[in-house]
Order: sequence, then C-alpha cells, then structure tokens
Amino acid sequence: MDLIQLAPILITLKLALVTTLVLLVIGTPLAWWLANTQTRYKTPIEAIVALPLVLPPTVLGFYLLIAFSPEGVVGQLWSYISDDPLTFSFTGLVIGSVIYSLPFVVQPLQASFEGIGKPLQQAAASLGAKPLDIFFSVVLPLSYRGFFVAITLGFAHTVGEFGVVLMIGGNIPGLTQVLSITIYDHVEALEYSAAHIYSAALLLFSFIVLMVAYTANRKINIRL
Amino acid sequence: MAIEFKYKKSYPNFTLDCQFSIPGSGVTILFGPSGCGKSTLLNCIAGLEKTQQAYAKIGKTILDDKEKNIRIAVHDRRVGYVFQDSRLFSHKTVLENLLYGYQRLKQAEQNLDITQIFKTFSLDDLLGSYPHQLSGGQKQRVALARAILSRPCLLILDEPLSALDYSAKQELLPYIQTIHKEFSIPVIYVSHDIKEVLQLGDSIVLMKEGKIVDNGDLVDLCVSQPLLTEQEGASFILEGEVSKINEQEKISTVQCKEFELHLSGNILEEDQYVRILVHAKDVSLTLDKAEHSSILNIVPVEVIKIHPEKNGKHIIECCLEKTKIISVISIRSLNKLNIKPGLKLFAQFKATALVK
Repeated sequence: MDLIQLAPILITLKLALVTTLVLLVIGTPLAWWLANTQTRYKTPIEAIVALPLVLPPTVLGFYLLIAFSPEGVVGQLWSYISDDPLTFSFTGLVIGSVIYSLPFVVQPLQASFEGIGKPLQQAAASLGAKPLDIFFSVVLPLSYRGFFVAITLGFAHTVGEFGVVLMIGGNIPGLTQVLSITIYDHVEALEYSAAHIYSAALLLFSFIVLMVAYTANRKINIRL
Repeated sequence: MAIEFKYKKSYPNFTLDCQFSIPGSGVTILFGPSGCGKSTLLNCIAGLEKTQQAYAKIGKTILDDKEKNIRIAVHDRRVGYVFQDSRLFSHKTVLENLLYGYQRLKQAEQNLDITQIFKTFSLDDLLGSYPHQLSGGQKQRVALARAILSRPCLLILDEPLSALDYSAKQELLPYIQTIHKEFSIPVIYVSHDIKEVLQLGDSIVLMKEGKIVDNGDLVDLCVSQPLLTEQEGASFILEGEVSKINEQEKISTVQCKEFELHLSGNILEEDQYVRILVHAKDVSLTLDKAEHSSILNIVPVEVIKIHPEKNGKHIIECCLEKTKIISVISIRSLNKLNIKPGLKLFAQFKATALVK
C-alpha cells in the first residue's frame, strides 16, 4: 500500500472549496442584513451565527447527525429531493461544514459592511442608485478586504475541521474521508510515518495560506 | 413654482415639527443653532428619515404625503445632497464619481453638456485622479458637480464649506453661486457662517428647537430679526447700490434705503448691488453727533428695545425709519447714557460689504 493517498487531500480541498462558495452565497446577504437591520432579533441571530465558535464540534455534529438521519426533520425534507441519505455523504459534509464555518465568513463581512457605513450609501442613493445597485457598485468593491479575509478563514477553517466531519461524514475512504480524519486513522493504527507526512503537509499548507493572506492584506493596506 | 414641506418626527427628548415653503428658485438658507434639527429636517427632505407626519411638494411633484401613503424612495426623489464630508467613492476616479448619478438617468435625460460642466467646475485636470489625491476644496467641487450631473429638482448643501480652510472656502464660493445662476436648480443651503449666508442667500428659514421660527426674503427678514446671528455675536445687514467711488481715498459710497454708507478698502463697482454686514459690537452709540471721529458712518437712530444679554452686555435695538440697527454695549454705558426706549441717539459703525 502506498504510504500517501491522494483521495483525502482532494476531498479536503473539494470540501473546502464548495463550502467556501456556498458560504459566500449565503453569508453575504446574511452579513449585509445583519449590518443594516434594526430589528430586535439581530442580537439572537448574531449569537446563533457565532455559536460554532464556542460549541464543541461534537455537539454540533451530534445534532446535525440527528437532524440529517432519515427520521430527522432535515433528513425527511431531503428525502423529497434525493434518494441518497444526507448522513455519511459529501452533501451532508458540505452542509455541516457550512454551518461550522459560518461565523468565519459572516463576521468579517459584517464588520466590513458596517465599516463602509450609511453615509456613502446615502450619497449613492441620493444620486439615483437603487439598494441592489448600491450594493454592487459601492459596497462590494469597497469591502474586498472583508471578502478576502472571509474567503481565507472560511477555506482554512474547513480544511482544519475534524469533529463535525467525523460525526456526520463517517470515515468513508474516497467519499467523506478528509485529511484530518486520515491522520487520526493513521495514528490509531500506529502508522506514525504516514501521520507525520499528512500532518506536516497540513501544517505547511495552513502556514502558507495565512502567510499569503497576511502579505496580501498588508499590500492592500500600503496601497490604500 | 413653490416648494412646500411639512414634517413631524418625535424623539424621546426632541420633536421636529416643521411646516414651511420656500421659493422654487434661488438659494434658501436654513439657519439655526446646532442641535436644532437642521440635519434631521434635511434627511426628511432627502427621504432618508421616516417620520410620523410628512408632506413634501416640489412644484407639481409630490415627494411625501403620509395621509395618502406616498413616499418616494430616496433614489427616485431627485433631491441632490452634498454633505460636509464630500462622500466621494474612494474606489472610483473623479470621472467615474462625476458620472455615477448621470449614468443612472433615463437615456433621454442624459443630454447635459458634460464637458461644459467639467469646465465650469474646473475639473478637467482632475478627471483621472482618485479622491484621496484631491484637496478638500477639490473634493467638494467634485461632489457639487456630481450632484448637479444627477439633474436634481432640488439641491441640498449641508455646510459644504465647513470642513475647508479660509482660502479653500473663498475659492469654492463662486462655484456655489453658479449653481442656481447657470443650472437654475433651487438650493437649500445650511451654514453657520453669516458671511456665506449673505453672499449666497436669497431667502432664509430660521429654525430653533425643531421648529421654524420664521422664513422669507433674506434681507427683509434680517432687517426685522437682527438677533439672527446670536451665536457669532449679534449682527445685522443692510443693502444698497454703490452710488459713488472715490478712487483716491479708496472709499465707496453705498446708497441704502434711508442713508448713505461709506465703506473703505473695498473694490466695488458703481451701481453694484451689495449687502453690508455690521457686527453689533462694532456699533457705538453717542448722544451727540461726533464731528471729529475716525468712524465714517454716523446715523441718527431711535432706541426701540433693550435686550438684556449675558456677561454684563446688552443689545440695544434701534431704528432709522424702517432700518434696524443693533449695538452691543456694557451695563456701564447703558447707565451712563441713560438709554431707554424712545431715546434719540447717533450710531456710528464700521461696515463690510459682501458681494452677492
């Protein structure tokens, strides 16, 4: 058996990529809404979004497992869409990851939107721009730094996920077995040399991602 | 065309309750102490604020009518707004900023002579720059031109010069004067600076504690409401036309309604219309006409009212026929001259002409 398998790396990258994309699609309007709303539900919703920051991943994974099971609410709704179960599937993994990494995308975006503030939007509106137009012509270009941070953190955090994936994804090689779990397996089987290679690779990868992020952020800072 | 407004909005410890109309042309000054609700009122007019009662009409267009559930959205109102901070879009060039509103007009309305407007506001050399490369005065010029290019029916200028230094203010004033002359857009102008007010204003709306105290023609109102500028020290204004110029002594004679005024050092032209600003602290009162005084202007007046003032000073309101003249004097002078309503005195003062 080869010491190193490519599948876990590919699955990890695919999961991180898909999760980040989904998070951008969901997180952007959510962050925009949170940045602008005056409803009294804002605080509880912010708390819910932030929950994954403090909850043990196993707690989140446990509830997701129950919800995703064919008897669970989400599982039953899912059965109308697809014949495949949500648990122990890549789709289930993506949903779990999206929830788990939500604050890492929503919070920087929300901060960035709030930083732009009302004044510029009022100026744009008084010049005849409709709200969606303002979002795309003023808010989006001015919050690219927030997006950069959100994408980096969302991606990196998904790559580093373990507990939630283990709970709802199981450990199916070639389907739901991601890097962090592969390392765990190797350690369990006392295959330290393989664990070393994966761990070092993940360490290096994480370091490079953060380096790139910080360097780019600094360059943007200097340019502004 | 007239412009009508009626807004009511209550906060826990402040109520805005305004009803007034302004002419459909020229510059209307919105004047009042800070915290009196000017910005809230402007935001109501611009559609940025929700209110309990709202009615707004520009000519035949109704912007707000709460009773009929009409509230035109900000982006459809055609109310231009230039703020103290120019609020340019930092990621766009000057040209892109300028065209932001214009490109959002209907195709048929995009028929302004853009290059001419760039020229009017001296923007030709700035078009490729980004906002952070501009000075404060240049930014405001861009903001003004950007608002005009969006073809507003009404333009709000909220203290557009307040963030600028003296020379930048002087540089920008003529551009603001061109707005209603060249583009015939009615302007609501907020300012605390009495000089700006006199140089720009045609009519005035006086505001205090969320309510409109008075409104009407600027000069008429300032003559009958001389306490207008309490904040900067009371002052009053006069108006007239230059009747004579003595080149040698550099003195211009201005014919006001009831008397002649002599102004030194001002470069005026004959027959020119001028507004004259006099600070009440520059007006002294004498019982006899001083024959040997360095003061050029001495007019006979009658005391109408004595307003008690803080810090041992009193404002004495006098009149010469219909012209109001006010003076700030100490309690000692008040007692010494035994000033009472009805007393006839001479007022002597220095004055500054402001060209509108």
